[in-house]
Amino acid sequence: MEISPAVNGRPVVWPASYNEVPKEVFVRADIFDEELRRIFYGAEWHPVAHAGELPNPGDFKTFLIGRVPLLITRAADGAIHVFFNACSHRGNQVETQACGNKFEFECPYHRWLFNSAGELVGCPNQREFSPGFERKDYPLAQPRTAFFHGLIFVTLSPDTPPLDEFLGEIKSTLLEVMAGDGRLKLIGYQRVKYKTNWKAYCDNDGYHAPLLHRAFQLLNWQGGKGRQYATEERGHMGFESELTVASGGDMLRDPSIIEFKGVDPSKGSRVIELFPFFIATKHLDSINLRFAIARSVDETEVHYAYFHHLDDDAEMIRHRIRQASNLLGPSGLVSMEDASIFHRIHVGNQTPGNVTFQKGVTSRDKLSFDFKQNDETGNLPRWEYYRRIMGFAREVV
Amino acid sequence: MSALLSGEIVGQIEALQNRYIDALDSKDMSAWLATFDERDDASYILTSFDNEQQHHPLGLMLDDCRARLIDRVTYITKIWAGTFQDYRSRHFTQRVASVRVDENVFDVRSNFSVCYTPVDTGESKLLTCGVYLDRIALTNLGARFVAKKAVIDTSVLPQYVVYPL
Repeated sequence: MEISPAVNGRPVVWPASYNEVPKEVFVRADIFDEELRRIFYGAEWHPVAHAGELPNPGDFKTFLIGRVPLLITRAADGAIHVFFNACSHRGNQVETQACGNKFEFECPYHRWLFNSAGELVGCPNQREFSPGFERKDYPLAQPRTAFFHGLIFVTLSPDTPPLDEFLGEIKSTLLEVMAGDGRLKLIGYQRVKYKTNWKAYCDNDGYHAPLLHRAFQLLNWQGGKGRQYATEERGHMGFESELTVASGGDMLRDPSIIEFKGVDPSKGSRVIELFPFFIATKHLDSINLRFAIARSVDETEVHYAYFHHLDDDAEMIRHRIRQASNLLGPSGLVSMEDASIFHRIHVGNQTPGNVTFQKGVTSRDKLSFDFKQNDETGNLPRWEYYRRIMGFAREVV
Repeated sequence: MSALLSGEIVGQIEALQNRYIDALDSKDMSAWLATFDERDDASYILTSFDNEQQHHPLGLMLDDCRARLIDRVTYITKIWAGTFQDYRSRHFTQRVASVRVDENVFDVRSNFSVCYTPVDTGESKLLTCGVYLDRIALTNLGARFVAKKAVIDTSVLPQYVVYPL
């Protein structure tokens, strides 16, 4: 693959050892721009919403892939549509709200009016338009879209392989995260910005957990058996862990936050991470899809969306709401410290040299796909794929 | 407002608000807990305007019983101690509406803003602003929160939140 012109002036020296990553890829703005081109606008699928966020006709959500704005709607007939959030006339952004419910979207610039199926249903002064103008020729434009049990994926490249092939082996764990069948309904969002590079946000799962999170020790939360795996092509990661449910010791007055009411007590925890940077987890009874936006080289925005299952009874829904509110996310019992670490990683990555991965590394000369549950090596296949598509040559020793 | 509240009642309500923000800004979680009534269903909820508007029940902190209020203190003083980069906060409140709902019970709405200063950078910024929706009881021990809901206007928080707001 060609070395990109944008980074040719200052070539990236990728270390020969497979367990090292050069810190400069986390902090160089020119590399971020190249990532937009090759990854975010390249041959990858990006989750942008789950149908459970738009349960009713007229519901809509806006989102971004890189800097490209999207409008996701559920039309009057119940069908989900994804559009570029730009008027088909002069390109003005059509909808500015993060989410809401409406059946018509009016561009404020020249009052072109679109319905929730994207059809142009009105435009003033049409008689003065170009010869042969017909409204049907000017719907909102649409990117390539594909669905996986309600999870809505978009790609901006015609070269992206079919979604089924893109996901590969990770499909089973992804479906388990989504309660086994993806029949979900939103209970709310937590949204936060992290002052870190999007790739540092990705690296932060797995190995660190028992060391960073004092909650696990203090609440007598025993690590159960489990496995970690990565897909061969893109290095999507999956974690499946049994949960030995914490007793809480005598720490908590209300142990419902760590209570597990689900039907799968032997494997209560799932985490998946799709390339480039979608993380989703089912931890205890909290179902959490994290829609993330790479705002810039040093800012990552995460929209934590939480769900209940459509078959839940009222008591289970209440339990999920009470657990999800306090367990994960930017102020969650077992995740607040992650957020704190993100900032420090980004500061540290401004220094020269490489970061190294150690736990579980059996060879510096090749990739391994044989990981233990808490190894940090699960990140390495993703880094190798990143290196390849960015066109960074590995140093020859 | 159904009727003007007496100066003494307003004074007790104001004193409670001040005790509350002073407890948070001095990170005295016991004093924070002591601003809540001791009944089992006393509650503190932190959520966003977006969630409220869309009728989403999720919060950023959902302590809907006294046991959870006590656990909130435990998270901060025991479980998270030493694991995060700390920040100083300054809360500012402005009471904008008060209504008596029972002889000694009042619903009070106040605007608030919170400035924060990370201890590492020393750079002061706005963490969030929003509205407090409080149910306050006048008790033998002074005014206490029966229910406190903080609804933040901020759609996307600028960083993680350790302490209640």
